[in-house]
Amino acid sequence: MIQLHDNKAWATIKRFQSVLGLLILFVAAILLSPQDRQDGYNIFLSTGNLTDILRQVSEIGIVALAMTFVILTAGIDLSVGSLLALGATVVAMALTQWQPTDNAALHIALAIGAAIGACTLAGLVNGAVIARMRVQPFIVTLAAMIGIRGLAKWMTDNTNIDIGFGEDVGAVFANLVAQKEVVIGTFLVLTVVSAVLLSKTIFGRYVRAIGDNEKASDYAGLPRRWITVAVYGLCGLMTGIAGVIHCAQNNQGSANDGVAFELDVIAAVVIGGTSLAGGKGTIFGTFVGTLIIGVLTNILGLIGMDENEKMMVKAVIIIIAVRMQMTRKVT
Amino acid sequence: MKHLIHIAAILAMAAMLPLSGCGKDDPAPSDPNGNTPVPAKYLVVFSQANNAEPYRAAQNALMKKLWADHPDVELEIHDGQQDNSKQISQIETAIRKKPDLLIVAPNERGPLTKIMGRAMEAGIPTICLERDIAEPNYTTYIRADNRKIGRQVGEFIVAHLKEKHGEAKGKIVHIQGLLGVEGETNRHEGAHEIIDEHPGIEVVQSAVAGWIQSNARDRMTEILNAQPEIDVVYGHNDPMAVGAYLAAKAKGRESEMIFIGVDGLGGPAGGIKKVQDGVLAVTFTYPLCVDKAVEVGNKILREPDFTPEKSYTMESEIVTPDNAAEMYKKQTVE
Repeated sequence: MIQLHDNKAWATIKRFQSVLGLLILFVAAILLSPQDRQDGYNIFLSTGNLTDILRQVSEIGIVALAMTFVILTAGIDLSVGSLLALGATVVAMALTQWQPTDNAALHIALAIGAAIGACTLAGLVNGAVIARMRVQPFIVTLAAMIGIRGLAKWMTDNTNIDIGFGEDVGAVFANLVAQKEVVIGTFLVLTVVSAVLLSKTIFGRYVRAIGDNEKASDYAGLPRRWITVAVYGLCGLMTGIAGVIHCAQNNQGSANDGVAFELDVIAAVVIGGTSLAGGKGTIFGTFVGTLIIGVLTNILGLIGMDENEKMMVKAVIIIIAVRMQMTRKVT
Repeated sequence: MKHLIHIAAILAMAAMLPLSGCGKDDPAPSDPNGNTPVPAKYLVVFSQANNAEPYRAAQNALMKKLWADHPDVELEIHDGQQDNSKQISQIETAIRKKPDLLIVAPNERGPLTKIMGRAMEAGIPTICLERDIAEPNYTTYIRADNRKIGRQVGEFIVAHLKEKHGEAKGKIVHIQGLLGVEGETNRHEGAHEIIDEHPGIEVVQSAVAGWIQSNARDRMTEILNAQPEIDVVYGHNDPMAVGAYLAAKAKGRESEMIFIGVDGLGGPAGGIKKVQDGVLAVTFTYPLCVDKAVEVGNKILREPDFTPEKSYTMESEIVTPDNAAEMYKKQTVE
């Protein structure tokens, strides 16, 4: 057990444990990074590469933010991979097969709205089933993962919806949304919004309270069911945003995309120190967890490691990173 | 403080891991005095769509073997794991290293188009391997021709039926891959360009098995129950043709009909061995395209004045019991 006089120092260290992990990984990456073969600079540290990392983790990161809320309530959402595909296909179909207006900007806005709306609705249904019918989140969202994947494939008839490269509205959308600045900017803004939502609002406090102790929160009169519905709705909404970005970055909506995406998202959240038991975790931690995954993938790519070796190294790093979060409890 | 040391120790070990992982790779070359590193090595990056498919594993093996003959070339292979986003990110990271040559086997045409354009903008010679992309963002495109392979299959079927029945008539079955995919469409339509000229040839049934051997076996079992007479089974890849054969064998009907496949990979699991074993009557190789990529790639690296053609089309070769042993040797990478 920790000595009483250590508590304050430990609280501080604990808070920044994930950052410490990221920092060490970052330093290791600098040391391991190859140099540019012409100009000799450190490739890992180049602005272009660092922003590549942020771009590459943005979709996972955005969904991980919402997943943090879900996991804080001691829940889980396994349907986000299918939701990502749904969002991407809805926006692609709305851009290419729907002609609500001649105004390109309005058309794009409506298409994005339709995709985010559809995903939010699916998330709300998840939440309602969990809250009302009292089926475990794992099972409800497992069913949703299958059903929503089927919906996306049914809607597209198993084809990829190509949004085009020319001058049409789909291409305008892709060129706009797939810009690095837009992708990274969306991720960073949503991170700040989520952090405020979790730590500065009553909603955030309720989310934490429910995950900490469901019974106690019921006795205290917290609107547990509504919070549950809202949390899964939020997860749907954020996944819809990620789906729109996914469509733009891939220039197509494919119902087959996002398979096993939920596992990457959950990994980012737990590496960031959020406990799957609920009640404990921060948005900042999730942000750092997402970056840890990004930096790791990037440096292993830069040194050209074999794919199979990469997977083994990643497994070890994930366990170490999560273990670090638990230091106080275990030792 | 003990805890902190503990953490630091774990992380230090973690940091060492990647080091030990890449320990296999040879260090940067240095001049004979061992002082300054010489950047004489060419870096070639091959972005593969998905290592897990046998055809692509064969591509990787041949790629490694052929580049190994050039000790001044360092080859890196990245596996996109059938995930467009992953493959895009891997190419994005590879571009930062300014390779001397980039070879991409794109997972899907739309998503990979822009990132290959960015490689071209960065001045990296880029070879597009086997699958097309939406815009010609490549230095050269080395391709196989599925429609032509389909026509070759059609011609073989017509010749076989003429021999069997004395005229071009008979009953055939298609076992199809994923519908809507370029390879499936052209292997199917190419065959029909020839078959449809002969009204005596009838497609009695078609089934979709999505390239998978076990699916083909199940679909073929149903077909065998429904069709008392079948002359030819055309599996649009070798594993599906083998699956159909297994279904027929289970019912003792495998000698009534012949089985035709496409891909013709080497190695004990490939289609050529199946021709040697008498399972398939014939298979048509789907060219790996890798030998041409390495040949053209080497010229791009070493001959500043060399300008490749905008595209090269590789020829398919027919594998029959007569040439199977020879083809096996040729197509198998040790």
